[in-house]
Amino acid sequence: MISVYECGRYICMEQNEEQQRVERRREAATRAVEMRREAAASSKGDEDEQWWGSRREKMMTDIRPSLTVSGREIDFGVMALRFEVLGRFNRARAAQLTLPHFVCQTPLFMPVGTQGTIKGLTTNQLEEIGCQIILGNTYHLALRPTSELIDELGGLHKFMNWPRALLTDSGGFQMVVLILDRVSWTNLSAVEVSLLHLADITEKGVTFQSPVDGKPMLLTPEESIQIQNRIGADIIMALDDVVKTTITGPRIEEAMHRTLRWIDRCIAAHKRPREQNLFGIVQGGLDPVLRDICVKGLVDRNLPGYAIGGLAGGEDKDSFWRVVAQCTAALPEDKPRYVMGVGYPLDIVVCSALGADMYDCVYPTRTARFGTALVPEGVLKLKHQAMADDTRPIDPTCACMVCKNYTRAYIHCLVTKDAMGSQLLSYHNLYYMMQLSRNLHSSIVEGRFPEFVCSFLQKMFPKGDVPEWVCNAMDVAGIDISSCCAPFPSSKD
Amino acid sequence: MKFAVTALSGGRARAGVLHLGSSSGSCPNPIETPALLLSTRKGLPNFISPDLLPSLPSPDSHLLQFSPLHFLEGPSPKTISSIGGLHQMLGLHEYGLVAVARDSVQSLPECDSTNKIGASFETSSGRRLVKPVEYMEMISSMRPNLWSTLADEVPAWVSDKRNKTSAGGAVFGSIVGGSNVEERQQCAQEVAKRNVSGYWIGGFGLGESMDERPPLLNAVTVSHFSLNMEASILPLFDR
Repeated sequence: MISVYECGRYICMEQNEEQQRVERRREAATRAVEMRREAAASSKGDEDEQWWGSRREKMMTDIRPSLTVSGREIDFGVMALRFEVLGRFNRARAAQLTLPHFVCQTPLFMPVGTQGTIKGLTTNQLEEIGCQIILGNTYHLALRPTSELIDELGGLHKFMNWPRALLTDSGGFQMVVLILDRVSWTNLSAVEVSLLHLADITEKGVTFQSPVDGKPMLLTPEESIQIQNRIGADIIMALDDVVKTTITGPRIEEAMHRTLRWIDRCIAAHKRPREQNLFGIVQGGLDPVLRDICVKGLVDRNLPGYAIGGLAGGEDKDSFWRVVAQCTAALPEDKPRYVMGVGYPLDIVVCSALGADMYDCVYPTRTARFGTALVPEGVLKLKHQAMADDTRPIDPTCACMVCKNYTRAYIHCLVTKDAMGSQLLSYHNLYYMMQLSRNLHSSIVEGRFPEFVCSFLQKMFPKGDVPEWVCNAMDVAGIDISSCCAPFPSSKD
Repeated sequence: MKFAVTALSGGRARAGVLHLGSSSGSCPNPIETPALLLSTRKGLPNFISPDLLPSLPSPDSHLLQFSPLHFLEGPSPKTISSIGGLHQMLGLHEYGLVAVARDSVQSLPECDSTNKIGASFETSSGRRLVKPVEYMEMISSMRPNLWSTLADEVPAWVSDKRNKTSAGGAVFGSIVGGSNVEERQQCAQEVAKRNVSGYWIGGFGLGESMDERPPLLNAVTVSHFSLNMEASILPLFDR
């Protein structure tokens, strides 16, 4: 299973480092087994816990058959998920992803519920909308209410009253981004500069200034996993060395290698592999060689799933899809693939055509709070004066609660003034994303994926001016979109 | 609108049933009184979208109070009319909507600026003088189940205007008079003479003490109204 160590792929690592790592893994494996025995011995009988427990138990029985490999105790490669591909179209695939708390259909979009809540929506509404996995931000939750308290209260599912699946990030990226957000919301170049000053990444971990008292704090891979183990999400993310894709040179290479070194520390620190799935993150900037080393390194660790990181950070679209295409091609067929930070509907369609399964982004909810609705034609700015007496729904083809009940005129009078404006638009935008996910899934299963992609592109680009990067990506994905492209496509990106 | 007293306390308290069921079919279920009016912002209860409203106790939570003045910045009465009124615009067909110009948060009466032309309110879009004819235009477009007349110290002129309109919905005459018992009594007597379906007892929550309220309410409710009329004492019921 851990045959990776014989492969000699770690050209950049020294031999003794390598041995130490093997040692550490063995130790961790022993610890993990002990932990599980302890946990099994001292299972609590509390009533609430029973409900959650029985629910979890049911889900886990669904997953377990795939976990017992010839009756042997597996310490690495243990996972708490099952991933079954239900249909394919070339590289695109539709799958059923069974997690401890929910059976999900992919491709899927995960809304971001930073502090254990999607702003303005209740968990009942999120179920109604069809959300399957919600992303929680480790950084925010660790600061408040703290992972210890969440653990004490029975984990994040119970804390936020969300019965379905959860994913937490490692906290590293948030640390960098949040601090930057305070410096400047809009100025991207300032963000890059301050990234270097405010969040210092060393071999030990990510050092950052505490938002509470400004003191330097250190987040190590071990600590990130410990926190995420306490929070208890279905999927947890390895701590990676995040570098903006627009940066080039040795820093990118360093980040990629460090991400690979940290994955072993993350695996070793992971105490709940039978309840939580640790995903590794492919880094390597826009460099195909670095991405390739990173993918191979991670795949050798036989993780339950893989994320493609470091994208959606301002790189050009052609570079973006090429990295996705390269990584999805190199990642195993039987594991979920998650493109981090991607949330524009067009990007999700392209990535799904290239074989990605999961996405997350604040875009649908954030743009809702700024008064913008997602519609098949692109976006609809409800703040625009033309909406003031428009008695049509946001999207006449949408079946969501908001479109069934409200006119553009009414939402126009709410947006950016009343909380209800954000609530209704967030509801609609998430419904749109979930409907997009459902459409991707069903069109792949039913063998009509190219037709779906074409009708999607036709609505978004009625003049046939589909961007060249989309045409290029679809070409690689083997999806014929000539029917929705103008005869002479413009060379504009 | 139909209102029937179902039980009397021996004292002055009463329990009743309010049937709002209008021709448009909104609020089909009867509402038991005493009833609380849910306060709203632009017609929707704060932070509770219509899909969540049924999770509140029913039918007790089916009466919503709104201020037409929340829509001063739009949608225009014309647009609201073409949408089909407020029930349609809010997607709240099962609910009773009660129009009261004043709310206690965003649309406060500004008596110093109120004059014979109209009533003045401090709103989120600044101080606005609302003429009765404008108010009636809003009421006509919104088509609430109940609406109270535009109120000031001298409410009589509003009732005249009211008679000229065909806004639909039941009209509640407004009883004001500040902290002056005689003014209140006189106002109640005058309004009671008019053809209204109920009474809105306003002018509270504007700095009077809690001790002052009982005698003021007593002065108004003692005998001027027939037994089967609904009295809505808003600042007490909408908090």
